[in-house]
Amino acid sequence: MKPYKDIAHLFDDLGIRHGASLSFHHHLRNGDAVQNLVLDEVKRRNLKALDLYPSAVFPVHTTLLSLLKAGHIKRLTTNYLNGPVADYFATHGTPDMLRMQSHGGRARAIIEGDNAIDVAFIAAPAVDREGNATGLEGPAACGSLGYAMEDVKHASTVVLITDTLVDRLDGAQIIGADVDHVLLVNSIGDATGILSGTLSLTRDPIGVKIARTAMRLLDALDVVNDGFSFQSGAGGISLRVVDMLHEKMKRDHIRASFFSGGITAYHVTMLESGLVETLYDVQCFDLEAVASLKRNANHIAISADRYANPRNDARVIATLDCVILGATEIDTDFNVNVTTDSHNTIIGGSGGHSDTAEDAGLSIIVTPLIKGRIPVIKDRVTTITTPGSTIDVLITERGVAVNPARSDIQTRLDKAGFSTTSITDLMRTAHALCGVPATTARQVNPVGFVESRHGKRLDTLYTKE
Amino acid sequence: MARSYLFIPGDVPRMLQNMDVFEADAVIVDFEDAIATHTKDEARDLTRAFITKHHENLPDIYVRVNAVEHDDFMRDIDALFGLDITGIVLPKADTHALKRYRETFEKKGEHPLHLIALIETPRACLDMLAIADYPLVRALMLGGEDLTSALATARTNARTEIATARGLMVLAAAAAGIDSIDTPYPVVDHPEGLQADIAQSVAFGFSAKACIHPNHVDAVNRAFTPSQAAVDEARRILAMHEKTGSTRFSLDGNMIDKPIIERAKNVIKQAGIHGRDLP
Amino acid sequence: MKTIVVGSLESSDCLITLQPADKTTIDIESVVYDAYGKRIRHVIERVLSAHQLTRVHVRCQDKGALDYAIEARLETAIKRHKEVNHGA
Repeated sequence: MKPYKDIAHLFDDLGIRHGASLSFHHHLRNGDAVQNLVLDEVKRRNLKALDLYPSAVFPVHTTLLSLLKAGHIKRLTTNYLNGPVADYFATHGTPDMLRMQSHGGRARAIIEGDNAIDVAFIAAPAVDREGNATGLEGPAACGSLGYAMEDVKHASTVVLITDTLVDRLDGAQIIGADVDHVLLVNSIGDATGILSGTLSLTRDPIGVKIARTAMRLLDALDVVNDGFSFQSGAGGISLRVVDMLHEKMKRDHIRASFFSGGITAYHVTMLESGLVETLYDVQCFDLEAVASLKRNANHIAISADRYANPRNDARVIATLDCVILGATEIDTDFNVNVTTDSHNTIIGGSGGHSDTAEDAGLSIIVTPLIKGRIPVIKDRVTTITTPGSTIDVLITERGVAVNPARSDIQTRLDKAGFSTTSITDLMRTAHALCGVPATTARQVNPVGFVESRHGKRLDTLYTKE
Repeated sequence: MARSYLFIPGDVPRMLQNMDVFEADAVIVDFEDAIATHTKDEARDLTRAFITKHHENLPDIYVRVNAVEHDDFMRDIDALFGLDITGIVLPKADTHALKRYRETFEKKGEHPLHLIALIETPRACLDMLAIADYPLVRALMLGGEDLTSALATARTNARTEIATARGLMVLAAAAAGIDSIDTPYPVVDHPEGLQADIAQSVAFGFSAKACIHPNHVDAVNRAFTPSQAAVDEARRILAMHEKTGSTRFSLDGNMIDKPIIERAKNVIKQAGIHGRDLP
Repeated sequence: MKTIVVGSLESSDCLITLQPADKTTIDIESVVYDAYGKRIRHVIERVLSAHQLTRVHVRCQDKGALDYAIEARLETAIKRHKEVNHGA
C-alpha cells in the first residue's frame, strides 16, 4: 500500500463531496491532531452539509468549531463532548443537529447501518507496508483502538493516518485487508493528551467516605469473591473504590475474573500482582495502561462491539457483576444525567455509562449529595443519560438509597444490617442543609437528543439558559 | 465511650457542616492552634451559627478553646454560652489552669462545662493523676507535638519521646476512672505510619485516639472496636462463667479468673455500643 | 472609615466586604446565583435589619456557602465594623 503524503491528493482521489459522512476515534483524547488535520482540508475545500461521527470531541478540536460556526456541519453524532464545541451546540444548535450515543450504541449503529460512514479517518500510531496498524507503537502510542474497530469494518472507505511507517507489524489491531488508504503525516498528536481527565484517586474526605461506604455495600452484598468482575468510571471517587478494592483483595486473597472499560495504572497494578485475571481494555486512560497492553498477554484490547454492543451476545459487559459510576444529577426515579448541567450546558455524555448500567448485575452511582451547595438529587434530571430503571443503588456521603425496583438488593442489605434510606429522604436532607434551589433552566429550543444504546430517543437537548 | 475524636478547624464551613459525615464518635472544633489570631472571631461566630442552626444528628461536640492565660479564652467561653455542646478541650491543662477555668464560671455564676484536659507540658505529665482526679475532668488527652517541642527533641517514627507520657496517661486515667485519649498521628497521607501509630495507642491501653484528618477516623474506629474474634472469645468466657457460676475455671487449657471475666464484659459492652457493622 | 473583610473564597465559604456608605447596597457574586441568589440576598437583608444597619455597602463573593455561613460571616463583619467605625 503506497502511502499518501498529501491530504489534498487523498481527498481528490476519494472524491469527498458536500454531505459526506466522516468518522474519527478519540483514543488520543485531548492530544488528537487527526481530526483537525482532516477538517482543515474539508475547510479548504469549502465542503458543506457534513455528517460527522467522532466517537468523542474534546477542547483540542478547534477546526470542528470553526466549521460549525461557518454552518458547514449538518449533524454531529458522538458519545461524549466538552469544551467550545459543546458550548457551540448549547448556544447555537438547531433541532436534531446533535445526536448523542453510548459507546455500545455507536458500535451497534455502525454495524446495523444507522451510522452510515463514507470515510473513516483513523489515527493509527504505527502502520506497516501491508496497512496493518497498531496503537502500541510509535510516538503517539495510545494503546487500545477499541472505538475505531467498527469504523474500520463498516465504513465505505477506511483511511489510516499515521506518523510512523514500519516494515512489518506483528499482532496488529487493524488488519491491512480492511484498510483502503494510508496517509503519512508529521504527527498524529500527543499521547500525553490522553490524560485529559482528572485521573487520580480522591483524597477529599467526603469522597473517601463515599468510597468507603461503597466498599461496605459490596461487602454486605458479598460481591467481592473469587471470579467476580468489575468496572468503574475514572472519577476520583471510583478510583478510590478501586484502591480500596485492591487492599481488600490483597488482604483476603481474592482474585477477580476481569476488569473492563477504560484502563488506568491502578488496574494494571492489580493485573500484575495477580489480583485480576484479565483486563478488557476498550480505551487506555493513561500511558501506564498503554505500556501494560504491550507487555501483558492478559491485558486485552477489545472493540466497542465486543465491549458493549447490545446486539452482541458475547459482549464483555453482559457478564459484568458490578459497575461503579458517577452522576452530575440524579432524580427521584434514579435517572442519571452525565450529559449536561442544570443550565443545559453540555459537559460530557454517556460514554459507557448507560451501557454498563444496563448490563451490570449491580450498578452503583457514587456522588457527593451536595456539590457547591447544589443538591445532586432533583425531582427530574435536566437530561436523561441513563434511565433510572438500569440504576440499582445511589451512594452519597449522607446515606445510601436502593432503587425500589431492586427489592432483592434491599432485602439482602437489610439482612446484612446495612442501613439505607430512600432517595426522596436523601433529597430532603440536602434541602434541609442547602435550601431548595430555584429551578432555572427552561427547555425551549431543541439542539439535539440523547439516544439509548438500542437506538431509541431517550431525551432532548436544549439551548443553554 | 467514644473511640475517635476528630479535630475540625472552627473557621472552615466545609469541614464544620460535614462534621457528621466523617464517622467520628466525637469532634473537637478548634479555636486554638488551627485558627490565626486575627480570625478567632470568625471561628467563634461561624461555629455558633452552625451548631445553632443545624443541631440535628450531630456527633458529640467538644470545643478546644484558647488557653486560660490567653485573652481569647474568655471570648471563647462567652461564645459557647447556651450552645448544645458536650464539653471543652482545655489546652495546656495543669492544676493551675483547671482552677482558673472553674473560677471563670463561678464568677459568672454558671455551671462549668465538662473538660477534656489536654496534657502537653512536662509538668502536666507529672501532675496527671491530680488533673485526672479534678472533678470537671472527664478525660485526659495527650498533646504529643507540643510535648515533644517542650522536651526540645524531635518526633521519631517509634514515638519513643512520648512513650513515658503515654504510659503515665493511661495509668492516671485508669486510676481516676476516666478515659484516656491518645495524641493524633500528625501526618495526613501516610497510611502505614498511621496504622503503626494506632497500634501503639491500642497497645498502651488508651480508650480512644484523636485525629487531625477525617481520613484517619475509620482506621481509629476499627482499631478501637473489638474484633469479631475478640467478641466471640468474650461470649464463650461469659457463657462458661454463667454455666459454672464460678469466677475461676479453665477454657481451652487457659485459666480464666475474675479480671479476665471483667475484661470480657467490657469487650461485649464496647462491641454493643459500636455495632459490628465495620468491615 | 475602614473596609472590613471576613471569610474566604474557599468552597462552601464566602468573602464578605463591608464598607460605610450613604445608603445600603448589596452586591452578590455567587457560583450558585441562579439557584440561591435571592435567598442569599434575603439572608443579608435580614442580618442588616436585625442590626439596624442602613448605611453600608455589602459585597458577598459566594462560593456556595450555606445560609448559616453567610449569616455568620456578616455577623463578624458587622461586629468589627461597629468596633472600628464606632457604630457608624
